Amino acid sequence: MNAGTWASIINLTICFAIPLMLVALGGMYSERSGVINLALEGIMIMGALVACLLLRMMDQAGWGDSAGKAQLGVLLAALAAGAAGVIFSLLLAFAAINLKADQTIGGTALNIFAPAFCVVIAWAIQGQGITDIAIPSWTRLTPEAMGFAGKVNQDFLPTLFKKFYMTTPLAILLFLIAWIVLYYTRFGLRLRACGEHPQAADSVGINVYKMRYAGVMISGFLGGVGGLAYVLVAGTSFSATVGGYGFLALAVMIFGNWRPWQIFGCAVFFALFKVAGTFYNLIPFLPSFSGVQKVSNIYNLLPYIVTMIVLIFTSKKSRAPKAEGIPYDKGQR
Amino acid sequence: MKKLGNLREHPGFISLMASLLSILTGLVFGLVLLLILNPANAFAGMGNMLSNGIRDMGNVLYSSTPLIMAGLCIAFAYKVGLFNIGASGQYTMGAFFALVCAIGFQLPWPVCLLAAILGGAIWGFFPGFFKAKFNVNEVLTGILFNWIGMNLVNFLIPNLVIGGNGMLSTNWGGSASDRTAALADANPSAILPRLGLNKLFHYSYMNIGFILAILVAVLCWVILRKTVFGYELRACGLNRNAAQYAGINANKNIVLSMVISGALAGLGGGFYYLAGGGQLNLLQEISSVGFDGISVALLASCNPIACIFSAIFVSYINLGGIAMQSQGYATEATQIVISVIIYLAAFSLLMQTKIAGFLKRSGKKQKKEGVK
Amino acid sequence: MNLAEAAKNPEYVIEMLHITKEFPGIKANDDITLQLRKGEIHALLGENGAGKSTLMSVLFGLYQPEQGEIRKNGQVVQIRDPNDANDLNIGMVHQHFKLVECFSVLDNIILGVEDTKMGFLQKRAARKKVLALSEKYGLKVDPDALIQDISVGMQQRVEILKMLYRDNEILIFDEPTAVLTPQEIDELMQIMKDFAAEGKSILFISHKLAEIMAVADRCTVLRKGKYIGTVDTKDTTMEQLSAMMVGRQVNFKVDKQDAKPGEVVLDVQHVTVPSKVHKNNAVRDVSFQVRSGEIVCIAGIEGNGQTEFGYALTGLEKQSHGTFTLCGHDISHATVRSRSKDGMSHVPEDRHKYGLVLDYSLEQNLVLQRYWQPDFRNGPFIKFDAVRQYADRLIGEFDIRSGQGAVTTARSMSGGNQQKAIVARELDKDPKLLLAVQPTRGLDVGAIEYIHSQLVRKRDEGAAVLLISLELDEVMNLSDRILVMYEGEIVGEFDPKTVTVEELGLYMAGAKRTEMNA
Repeated sequence: MNAGTWASIINLTICFAIPLMLVALGGMYSERSGVINLALEGIMIMGALVACLLLRMMDQAGWGDSAGKAQLGVLLAALAAGAAGVIFSLLLAFAAINLKADQTIGGTALNIFAPAFCVVIAWAIQGQGITDIAIPSWTRLTPEAMGFAGKVNQDFLPTLFKKFYMTTPLAILLFLIAWIVLYYTRFGLRLRACGEHPQAADSVGINVYKMRYAGVMISGFLGGVGGLAYVLVAGTSFSATVGGYGFLALAVMIFGNWRPWQIFGCAVFFALFKVAGTFYNLIPFLPSFSGVQKVSNIYNLLPYIVTMIVLIFTSKKSRAPKAEGIPYDKGQR
Repeated sequence: MKKLGNLREHPGFISLMASLLSILTGLVFGLVLLLILNPANAFAGMGNMLSNGIRDMGNVLYSSTPLIMAGLCIAFAYKVGLFNIGASGQYTMGAFFALVCAIGFQLPWPVCLLAAILGGAIWGFFPGFFKAKFNVNEVLTGILFNWIGMNLVNFLIPNLVIGGNGMLSTNWGGSASDRTAALADANPSAILPRLGLNKLFHYSYMNIGFILAILVAVLCWVILRKTVFGYELRACGLNRNAAQYAGINANKNIVLSMVISGALAGLGGGFYYLAGGGQLNLLQEISSVGFDGISVALLASCNPIACIFSAIFVSYINLGGIAMQSQGYATEATQIVISVIIYLAAFSLLMQTKIAGFLKRSGKKQKKEGVK
Repeated sequence: MNLAEAAKNPEYVIEMLHITKEFPGIKANDDITLQLRKGEIHALLGENGAGKSTLMSVLFGLYQPEQGEIRKNGQVVQIRDPNDANDLNIGMVHQHFKLVECFSVLDNIILGVEDTKMGFLQKRAARKKVLALSEKYGLKVDPDALIQDISVGMQQRVEILKMLYRDNEILIFDEPTAVLTPQEIDELMQIMKDFAAEGKSILFISHKLAEIMAVADRCTVLRKGKYIGTVDTKDTTMEQLSAMMVGRQVNFKVDKQDAKPGEVVLDVQHVTVPSKVHKNNAVRDVSFQVRSGEIVCIAGIEGNGQTEFGYALTGLEKQSHGTFTLCGHDISHATVRSRSKDGMSHVPEDRHKYGLVLDYSLEQNLVLQRYWQPDFRNGPFIKFDAVRQYADRLIGEFDIRSGQGAVTTARSMSGGNQQKAIVARELDKDPKLLLAVQPTRGLDVGAIEYIHSQLVRKRDEGAAVLLISLELDEVMNLSDRILVMYEGEIVGEFDPKTVTVEELGLYMAGAKRTEMNA
């Protein structure tokens, strides 16, 4: 195993951990304010849709010509993805908070709506039958552009950055902000109170409804950006799906016990196993099952099975926010 | 006159009215969407969506069979207070077990259906068991097992050789290596009997699966409403502590109901793939049946009998959507309509109180006029 | 006193004038007038459901009244939410503490009034202020302890500090002594008197006549949402207050003959039950016996192991050591169902959590302990007419009131009738041992009398009754023998005819103990 392989593994792990972490953080904000957000899959898709359409427009307007403009374009697209996520999540917020409906209903409806809406819009804009929205190649920062000399897949540094998008540093920044806000600001304290004991928060004058809206909207923002981050690393076009990552992020959130740093760790853990599986023939100590077809499927199982095993041992202490999923009704005492 | 008066206030009637109102609103929303996208063809498109099903009733009923089962799966688990997000995995495992028996072991269809039930039941056992024994969140386990199931099946099917029989289409004279063999080639005795239904409904794949699904739905309703077991299950779902106080073994019931729920989904997989019309494709994505089942169950307010009707409705609209392509719309427009309808289910409590109020007032008005 | 006269009396720091507050179907407050003088301790007395909590919630801004106005120092004020109340220096300690369990003491105190710099929490000044207040009033707390780890008494101190931190001058206490030991109650009374002496004005809600007479200057009585009257405590007696509260003279004693205990029904030997919350055991090496035909009561302050003992006895939880023997059978490891079959009945402490499936109908709840018996089933199917007949019989015998009879949803029934249903169900089983835990919690006097008489009736029919209660009146009046539990151990056994409430209180607080020989 040479340096190149190691670097590849690290690079791909980061690529896949980032969207997982972002969306899981979003789910965490929503649930810690007291609202279960099953619509993460749909939010990711909507965010990716808006961002990709914007990138397409930018491509046609020639933003890809200069590197600076290109990366600015990516950042703007990320913001647009976040904004789309916020607006989309308002639908969930309204159903869960104002109508006090079962929170699984709203989430499921949005998950069904989003991919269908994507296809319909894509056909309307690109022409009938064309679902895939191509992602401009200038969104990717190549190792050469960043100044790393050497051969990709052989030398360490260039391979470490072989797949790099501006969404990665953006995600790390968002993570740090999310962590600090949750534990060190007044807003974070009040948000957590609303997810644990909304009556207590109400009795000291906090507007629980407003706080929960904020929690859901933040999850919409992070989910939207996460959607773009996923789509950028997953392929060269967006075809109205994020491959179930929204649900995986939910799993990571629960696995990470609703805490930012644990979520980060679990996302990396999960991504590592996922990626290691695809490199099975390059990692010497992993058997390659010669003669068997579709060995990749065995290794695909790895992250899920390892996660299940860890869960069996750690779930006794699992502690969801106490009031999550229970609609807050001021009249009930 | 008195019976009609009582009907107005019956909760089931009000619930039905609320559902119908949701559906109507969803369709109106769909129409508005079509108008925005392509005004010229909007009404034709909507008309197509609404009427195509009638021409193709056999297909509608045939396609509704797995939906009925998926809906029952979700509804049954929901009644017991669990959200079975692992329905897709259970469906796939059911299909897998059925096909292994059909193609691999060359067994007749009743055995294959039993195998489907077993496959789904096993896959449903895990989330229930891990929840009861280790307190692992069942949504989490369900999600993980959806993926595990998919990967397992994708791995096993190309590699399984039973008694010299491979599973793939290429092993049985077909040309594609990414799907299982057509049952017509591999084992015709495993195909569900048609009993003339295919002629009755003018659809060549129509078979007794639909009838069996209806019977299973009725069975579910009977179990939940009329049996001691159903009483215990619902008590567990409504108040787990009180159930424990009453001497009910809550853990046992959680596992049991997830097993039943999984079995229902698995049976759905069996019904679909033993109909002879479909081959299991080895795709790297989770089957959407589990999520369609959520739509069906929510539309039916998780009532087993109502699941039959909501499944037929969803199937009807989906087929209508395919016909809409000729007007230039994506078939996914029907999914948008369905998602709106489900979202409105969130309003349902609000709507039910408004409808109840409306019916009460119009009832009073009639009485007043009657007295005059 | 009408509005014109009230305006001429600025001696009232707070006036609630002609307050009406309605909820769907109930008028919780119907034209109530309450006036609080500066520096006084004013009690608000009434039975459950009289409207006391609602009235105080209006004052604290949690509810908006449909009619009426509130004045502070003669000026009309609007209190739309707790922030407004806080701005007027009104604070409230709630009956069910409004504390976030996984937050620290300090975080709970500052929640809602945090110091911030550009949005970031600044806790240093707050910590200083909390420690200073804690010193001044003798309210000992650890600012960094998590609420879930501290005692109930300390939690209440946190609630009080919340008010003091906000410089509240008008302090509302909602049933403050419900969870305190007699010693802690005395401390609280002293603290309240200190506050009053400083010029703070105190409103406290209570249904305990002795406390009101001991500490309050005046008392306002409410009954079923209506204002009955206000009296000076030095000019009245407990009997008079009680009559105002219920509208008739109340029997303080339960009519019962002496017990005639027979065979040993329940034998508890060296039972130890672990605690879920801390490392010590909740119940420690407890042994005693209950005979048929007697009512034995385990008395103690909430949180001393009675709850855990009850759950271990019924099989809802496991004990780590010890045995339970019922009529000679060892049931120590039996399931809940088999203990029930052997003749144990259980009226649980929390009727909503354990006693009823609220979304089931009344008849479905009434057969909760019997649905599996051959009388009520036909193979796998339920015999619905047998269930209906049974339910109708119990409804008649026990006078259980509900909107639509047997098909009424349990959720829509009143607390008293819900409890009656549970009692009916458990008594009709003709148990050999009846475990009743807090059977009259939250009920009005009429329901309490009824349930007490039913318990005595069962005792006279030969059942062994084990009562676990926190209400000393109930303990003294109902039991034939009293066992005091403190920190998981039985620390004394008494005859209610000879022991005093004060003596019991000392044992309940751990100040005294008798060595119990095994």
